Amino acid sequence: MTGLADIVARHRRRRAGAAAGGDIIQRIALLLAVLLAAAAILTPLIAPFDPLDQSLISRLRPPAGFDRASPGHLFGTDELGRDVLSRALYGMRLTLTLAFVGALIGLCLGGTLGVIAGLRRGWLEDAIMALVDMQIAIPFTLVALLVLAVLGSNVTVLVLVLGVAGWEQYARIVRAEVRRLTGQPFIEAARAAGAGTVYIARRHLLPNVVSPLVVQFTLALSNIVILESTLSFLGLGVQPPQPSLGSMVGLGRDYMPTAPWIVLAPAALIVTLTFTVQILGDWLRDRADVRLQER
Amino acid sequence: MTDYLLRVVIKMAVTLFAIVTVTFVATRLSGNPIDTFLGEGLTDEGRDALIAYFQLDRSIWHQYVAYLRGVVSGEFGLSFIERRPVTQVVAARLWPSAQLLLASIGLTAAVSIPLGVLAALYRKSWIGSAVMVVAFSGYAVPNFVLAVVMILTFSYWLNWLPVVGNGTALHFIMPTIAMSGVLIAALTRFTRNAMLDVLGQDFIRTARAKGLPELAVVMRHGLGNAGVTVISVIGLQIASLAAAGSVVVETIFSWPGIGQLLVTAAIMRDYPVLQFGVIAVAVAVVLINAITDVAYALVDPRIRLARS
Amino acid sequence: MFRLLLTTALAAGLAPAAFAQEITVGAANVAPFLDPGRDHSNVGSQFYFNSFDTLIDRDHSKLEPEWTPALATSWTLIDPTVMELKLREGVSFHNGEAMTADDVVFSLNRMFQATFPPYVVRSKDRLNNFTSAEKIDNYTVRIHAGREEPLWETLVSLQQIMIIPEEYTKALTGDPKVAEDSDFEAFSLAPVGTGPYSVAEFLPGERIVWERFDDFWGDKAPLQRATVVQIAETASRVTALKTGEADIITNVAPDQLSLIDSDPNLKTEGSVTALFHVMIMNANHPALKDPRTRQAMSYAIDRDTLNEALWLGKAVVPSTHTMKEFGDLYMPELTTFEYNPEKAKDLLKEAGYDGGEIVYTSFPTYYTNGLLAAQAIAEMWSAVGINAKVDVQEKWTGRDPQMMARNWSNPMYFADPFGSFGVMWAPGGPSESEGRFNTDEEYAAKWERFRFSTDVEVRKAAYAELMDEIKQDPPVLPLYRPFESWGMKKSVNWAPMPGHIPYVLDFRAGSISLADS
Repeated sequence: MTGLADIVARHRRRRAGAAAGGDIIQRIALLLAVLLAAAAILTPLIAPFDPLDQSLISRLRPPAGFDRASPGHLFGTDELGRDVLSRALYGMRLTLTLAFVGALIGLCLGGTLGVIAGLRRGWLEDAIMALVDMQIAIPFTLVALLVLAVLGSNVTVLVLVLGVAGWEQYARIVRAEVRRLTGQPFIEAARAAGAGTVYIARRHLLPNVVSPLVVQFTLALSNIVILESTLSFLGLGVQPPQPSLGSMVGLGRDYMPTAPWIVLAPAALIVTLTFTVQILGDWLRDRADVRLQER
Repeated sequence: MTDYLLRVVIKMAVTLFAIVTVTFVATRLSGNPIDTFLGEGLTDEGRDALIAYFQLDRSIWHQYVAYLRGVVSGEFGLSFIERRPVTQVVAARLWPSAQLLLASIGLTAAVSIPLGVLAALYRKSWIGSAVMVVAFSGYAVPNFVLAVVMILTFSYWLNWLPVVGNGTALHFIMPTIAMSGVLIAALTRFTRNAMLDVLGQDFIRTARAKGLPELAVVMRHGLGNAGVTVISVIGLQIASLAAAGSVVVETIFSWPGIGQLLVTAAIMRDYPVLQFGVIAVAVAVVLINAITDVAYALVDPRIRLARS
Repeated sequence: MFRLLLTTALAAGLAPAAFAQEITVGAANVAPFLDPGRDHSNVGSQFYFNSFDTLIDRDHSKLEPEWTPALATSWTLIDPTVMELKLREGVSFHNGEAMTADDVVFSLNRMFQATFPPYVVRSKDRLNNFTSAEKIDNYTVRIHAGREEPLWETLVSLQQIMIIPEEYTKALTGDPKVAEDSDFEAFSLAPVGTGPYSVAEFLPGERIVWERFDDFWGDKAPLQRATVVQIAETASRVTALKTGEADIITNVAPDQLSLIDSDPNLKTEGSVTALFHVMIMNANHPALKDPRTRQAMSYAIDRDTLNEALWLGKAVVPSTHTMKEFGDLYMPELTTFEYNPEKAKDLLKEAGYDGGEIVYTSFPTYYTNGLLAAQAIAEMWSAVGINAKVDVQEKWTGRDPQMMARNWSNPMYFADPFGSFGVMWAPGGPSESEGRFNTDEEYAAKWERFRFSTDVEVRKAAYAELMDEIKQDPPVLPLYRPFESWGMKKSVNWAPMPGHIPYVLDFRAGSISLADS
């Protein structure tokens, strides 16, 4: 009997250790997240140049320290002589905004539809799941293209499109969880005791879906950042001259052999952002899990 | 079981019909395709003549009916741009895309599942973290940046690998890696989480308490249950792989695939190609999803019980 | 003895390489169909010259047209509106058919008397004056014009009336005795001509394979085989040249030139293209009705700086809509367009510009540096006080009444101002039809003189008047003639020739050779 208690206790301690943030990678991720968020908020104050300011005589200049570098441009200039660093900062601002708003839209839309599908059986559930299948069956890039083509690729449409991009993942997760719970005896017991649907949802559904939803949200954030760059690769993302991380990488890719800094700066930010978000997401998931264990 | 299968088939048919209709309407809402692929330098009469020739002057309803009639009799029309039957145009591209997809799935499965298990087992040590960092990088870097970096390294500087087309086995290496990056990251992480979920559950603790060795516990119980989640995730991811990843890779490596065909058809408003291509891809994906659903239902007894 | 054997062995080993001369071209775009009659795109014009011939040709190594016999050995004007041509005997098509007057009449009349809409569109804008082709005997034809034609040879040598086989085309679909629309559609997927290369394989948008045609009537093709593959992505195209997967690549932007030139095994060849990148303006847009606003938009653009910045100074900035290739009709003495930002500001004030947004629309990638120029122009407009915005669209918005300004190109379809300014800005032509350009009786009268006078001086005077009209009420601003480049291995001797229309990949005898070192 001591053996079992030992094992369980050891398991608990390991997980608690994770929750306390003992891991150095998590700490670094948190620090990076704070730095990036601060940079995004303070961009107008810290960016050295106007991101739209062209200088046709100093195009494609390398970063400071290299031959032919243009003074003041730490990360060099792009194909129209604009400051790469400033554009990267403003680009990150726009991309983060797009990603957050988009992911939230997806979460709300997908979560709601998933709950409805899970609770209300019958034709409503079938209709929603059919939508999910449709969403999965048509490659989303294509849908995005058509929508952007019909409505024009302005920022509002882009955000909506990016937001809708992941909704079916949330819906599926939530629905699966709802269905799983609905069969459980303790739910029946709670209902018998007079608990309302909302109370049950809050007390039982939410803690169980929080974990996969959070993970999905972080995935969605990264997804959206990458989707935005793919749309820019195809010429449909944020339109020039406005910078976003995706469009800087997409439009700058022709210059990778000759002027790689144009792509490297925003790509480095994309990578850092995605890593940070993923690691923090995992950490959040672990914490939620621990709380689950202690219940 | 047959009841379930029947529902799946009906669902498939309805889904396909809806997809075709939505595509049809959406594309025609975006304006006359003549203006996109043939537009410039035309006089009024010239433009009218071409519109009449491509039968774009009829009402949407009229065109829709004509299209459905054609579909039923197996006639899907000629591409606006290439002027050959769309069935030919799409068929020529399906196999190269399928090859790339299969190669990616193979690479992903071979890499992610072991990595995911490793990351779950060694959660607390640096090995687990290192594995996750490597997996994440497939996710964090936009795949065309990865592709161009690979091209510059392995083709441009080292001249080890070819960059154009799909002729030999060597041609497969870079495109497959570029396609798989995202999938490997996602699947590794899902495998890890699924393993963790399972590892924390009662029957695992029971098995451990019984004194069974860790590895046996993992293999016997963990993997089996985690496998269920992994299957459904593969199903979910295939579709996003089918287009979002493939058009980029196909364009960069001049791979004659369907992703690039569909995207170009969408941008250039080549409706016949777009519609047929969407149908072809949708059929493939819906089939895969249906198979996944069935597999999921077969494997997870809880779902089967809940359903009845 | 041993040395002799060794040398012979070596020679034997090398010899096959010298005979089987093959190259691969990495093209940014491979045509989706191949029919010289229906095509006037820059993409298609790359591919017709190797497989098709016209009746009259010119020495393409010269800037000034020097007409040479091709499928016609001699020609005379037997009447001001009738040209009689004697055809070359012993010419075969790629499928073995012998070329006779029937094929010539078929090829010409399918354009002159077009019913197939894609042909109708092409013939209206430049072949309008030809009414029919008539067979006199098996090797003599007559071409009839509606009225006196000052540009006979120029027009008869157009890509649109390259000669195709009659029997083959008619037999492709349906009734083998009738030329149906479906025949023409099928032809564009399986083209057959008389040129030095036959099209051995054609995968639309992917690949074209040319093979030497041994029964060609002229000098044999220097290459046994040439393959064109589509490599849309710039980085991949340049890499393909480096790895050797391509021997020549097309569409090298000025920003990529140094990358290729710095490689000891590679080089670039370029030329100033016979084509203008232009900005067009919608004269009927409510905000741009006042010509002074459009004049200001024009004066505000510093084309020389665009040239220095985007083209390394290699583009040519014209003072009026004219090109050296026009020979006697080249008129660089006219100054129709210039850079004057102060004047632009004054004009805006005079016109009462209210600060409303003026939008410059651009294709994303169709024109080299097109999008960059659009952004730079928007900046130049801002500098004179215009509220400028760039709009990127894959769609052609030329006929959209909301369109304000956008990029376009005016190619030189043939070496005469009619073949450049003429095709696009004629009364009732494409620009007026699209509702963004207005002409009146005065303009039409000047046009008549310019198009149909047989006196060169009268034509020049009329053209000067037309240029003045578009200076006063501007619908267009030619930005520059772009400098387009091709990258290739040093062992390839090829360069674009001054006597061709833009972008032609000419692999005929005398145009290309491979140095085997």
